[in-house]
This record gives sequence, C-alpha cells and structure tokens, in this order.
Amino acid sequence: MSDTIAKEGAAGGILASLSIAIQTRIGRQKLRKIILGSIPFLVLFVLWQMNTAFEWLPAVFIPPLGDVLGAAITLQEDCVGIGGALAMDNTCLLTNHIFSSIGRVILAAVIGLPLGIGAGILAGMNRTVSRYLEPVGVFANSISGIAWIPLAIVWFGVGWMTTLFIMLNTIFWLMFFNAMLGVRGVAKVYEQSVLTMGGSRWDVIRHVYLPGAMPSIITGMRISLGFGWRALIAAEMIGGDSGLGFMIFVSAEEFKIEEVFLGVIIISLIYMATDRYLLAPLEKWTVERWGLIWKPT
Amino acid sequence: MTAKLVVEGLSHHYPDEYTGIDVHALDDISLEVEEGELVSVVGPSGCGKSTLLNILAGLLPYRVGTATVDGIRIEGPGPDRGVVFQEHAILPWRTVNKNIGHGLEIKRMPRDQIAKRVQEFVNLVGLAGFEDKYPHELSGGMKQRCAVARTLCADPVIMLMDEPFAAVDAQTRITLQEELNRIAMATKKTILFITHSVDEAAFLADRCFVFSARPGRLKAIVDINIPRGDRIWSDMNANADFLAARDEILKLVREEVSVATEE
Repeated sequence: MSDTIAKEGAAGGILASLSIAIQTRIGRQKLRKIILGSIPFLVLFVLWQMNTAFEWLPAVFIPPLGDVLGAAITLQEDCVGIGGALAMDNTCLLTNHIFSSIGRVILAAVIGLPLGIGAGILAGMNRTVSRYLEPVGVFANSISGIAWIPLAIVWFGVGWMTTLFIMLNTIFWLMFFNAMLGVRGVAKVYEQSVLTMGGSRWDVIRHVYLPGAMPSIITGMRISLGFGWRALIAAEMIGGDSGLGFMIFVSAEEFKIEEVFLGVIIISLIYMATDRYLLAPLEKWTVERWGLIWKPT
Repeated sequence: MTAKLVVEGLSHHYPDEYTGIDVHALDDISLEVEEGELVSVVGPSGCGKSTLLNILAGLLPYRVGTATVDGIRIEGPGPDRGVVFQEHAILPWRTVNKNIGHGLEIKRMPRDQIAKRVQEFVNLVGLAGFEDKYPHELSGGMKQRCAVARTLCADPVIMLMDEPFAAVDAQTRITLQEELNRIAMATKKTILFITHSVDEAAFLADRCFVFSARPGRLKAIVDINIPRGDRIWSDMNANADFLAARDEILKLVREEVSVATEE
C-alpha cells in the first residue's frame, strides 16, 4: 500500500510514512476500533451542527454547541483557579455539581461493590445463605431504583443520605446477583484441587471463587455502576440538593436548555472514562490475561 | 516394605443424581499399596473406579469399610493425598510457577523455599522456560505436566491419579506415560493410577487391580515385573512380560465388558 502512495510524489510519501508511524504506534486494530467507534458520535455531531446552521429546530430545543460550551464557562466564571474548584468553593458552580456526583458514586461504589461481591460469593458457595438472600434480592430487583425515592425522602430527607440509599440499593443487589452466578459457574474441580492440597474454606474463597467469578464480577461492576449512575441522576433530580442531576433539573425548570445539554454530556463522559480507565484495564489485567474470556478480533 | 494405603471391606452406595435410584458402586473392596509402588486400577466404565478415587481423596464420605493412609483413617481431603484430576484442574489465574507452588503456599512455607522447590519440579516435568505462562498459553500435555508437578511438589504420601492422560492426544499420551514412568523412578513416589486403558495400566504399573463391572469388586491382581528402566514404548512389542500382562488384563476386562453388555 505504501508503495503506490509513494509513487504519487514526495508529499504522498510523507503522508504514507506518517500513516504507518501512527498505525505502528497505536496499533492497526486499535486504530480501527477508535475510528469505527467514533462514527456514530460524528454523525450526531454533524446533525447537531446542521441543525444550528439550518435552524430545523429552534435553539430553545437544541442549543448551538457554542452555547453549551458557553454555559460551562458562565457557570465557572466566578471560580478562582483549579484550587478553588478542588476546594469546592461556592463560586465554582459546575465543578461543584460534578464533584458532588462523582463523590457520591465513589462512596456508593466503595461501600456497595465489596459488600455485594462478598455476599454474592457467600450465596454462591452456600445454599443456606442463598436461600435467605435470593428471594429478597429478586424482590429488590423487581422494583426500579427510582421507585424508592419518595420513600427515601420521607426517611432521610433531601440530601446525600437519600441519594446514597438509592445508589446502594441498586449497586448492591446487581453486584450480589452477578457475583453469585459467577461463583456457581466456577468448575467444581478447581475447588476440589485446592481442598485436596489441604486448603481451607478461606483458601478456596481467595484462590478459587474470587478469581473464578471475576468475569461475572467485572460484568456486575459495569452493570451496577451504569445503573447506579442512572439512579443517582434521578435521585439528585428529586431528592438531592446538588450534583449533575440536580443541576439538569433546575436548569430545565429555568429553561436553560444549554445547561441541560452540558449536564447530560458530562455524565456520559464521566461514565465512559470510568469504563475505559478503570473497568477495561481491570478486565485486561485479570480475565483476559487468564484466558477466561475471548475477545472478538 | 510397608503398606502406605490400606483399604478394607470398602463398600459404597449412592442415589443417582437424576433418577434417585440406588447405585451400588463398590462392593467389599480390600487392597493395599506398598511404599514406592505404582499400582493401576483398571475396569469397565461404571465399575466404581472414580468413586474409589473420590473416597480416597476424601471428597466423598463413606460409611462401610475402612481406608487408611499411614494408618490414619481417611476423613475428608488432606495434603497427605495429592490428586491429579482428569480435567485440567490447574488454576487458570495462576502461572505455572504459582500453580506448582500452590500446595506449599497453602502450607505457609517461606517464599524463597517455595521458589527453590518449585524450580526443581519445573525441571523434573520439563516445563523450564514456561514458568511465567498462564495455563491457557500451554498445550494439553503441558497442562497435565504442570498438574503432576503441582501434586508432587506438595510432597504427598501418595499420589492419586484419575485417568490423567485421557484428555490428551495419542502421541502426547505416550510421551506423558514414559515421563510418568521416569518420574516414578526418580521420586519413588507411591502412586495409585486409575485408567480405562489396558495398555496404559500394563505399561505403568507394578501391580494392576482389575475391577469387575458394577458393583465394582476387586476381580484380580496382575503382577507386572518389568524394571522401570526397561519401560520404553518402542521396546514394549518385544517385551514378553509386558505382552503377557497386557493380554491377561485385557482378557479379565473383556469378560466384564461382555457381562455388562449382556445385562
């Protein structure tokens, strides 16, 4: 391929070598993945820009990109530097909402994920535990997380306890079920091999169930964090006093449609970053390295 | 010579998992395995070979009869009996090194001592250069070599092997059989080897226990007096002792298979 381009002259040669340099640096497969994955976003972006140019729908429904970026600057304009934002100064409106939501997600994840994994592993290995927990888990999963919001407001009032409760309720049960099914799927012979080497129950949990259930546990983290974010935004809208959900809700009431767009985009970006920089590496370092899952090429 | 494993009057019934019908798997089994001996247990499928192994491994509780290792009654699994399973039972999330040293890790042996001993067994089974590979990066034969090394490294009193080479291809199986013979010679480990292959049983064993069709009874014991050093597959077709032992075992097993099919 590089030969044919090189024939077209020096400029073509430079382009070809640049293209090869990029391909070798990032990797052909990965480059392909990035380009293909970006296409739907590009289509949406182009449509958005065309809407602004041709005014198919007025700006009150779909604001121009400039207004959305402008909203971010306006919300932050009184904020003094990065230090002010990190200190969560009252003037830093946008970053305060972002940090507030992220903080809640981290708190709920730090509490909910380990508890869900622990309870799930116990239920997966022990019939008695699963007989206690499975029915109540099915009960909890049948009710949408949002349905608890009115009750949570009555119990905890508007604020972080309500949002935390809603998120924990979502994260814990989803994680519980995935970890439990993961443990049940681990081949019996692994457990037997550890037992015949003189291993204890605890050795079996650490050396067999936890790593063996890892594909399901990572799936559980993906699902529970995804649904957790959704539940959080809903909870912040109705039962919160800060956060991106709260920001979106208040902005919509004030017809600041560009702030609503900004909030939605930021939420997506944060979740995509979590998946890419936390969950995907974890997957790569565990189940992919152990050959437990196959990735289509 | 002292008997390492003694089984006396062992019988076992269990309800079938799906039909609930009572299965009489083992009937009044009595046998002894001497120190440093390699014995094979051979019989038609469903003769209770695997039930026997599970009882000896401590994975299956039993009530009728006794089974002892070094005079101690078998009650549950323990590090005195190492097991090599039929499927690849080495842990996919541990490297070759970590798998082989697993038993010592469970025993809380200091790390530097584990590393030294693991290296010895890596070399014994010919896995040098693959220490840091994960099982999915190994061939079927290498996985079973790793499983054998893992069991031996923990230094059990007796090694129990449950059709360990049944899942590998024919060429690899021959190599693994010759290697196990070499390992048995080098380590003088007491080994009980379960198989349905008559050739394998005759090639590897000092003594072969032939089981009857269900319920499994000890039908006959065939002695095979071939020095370990002479056991090479390419020489076996000219080895009168091997051919005689193989034919005798084959005859005994065939009788049982025909009984089982007539029923």
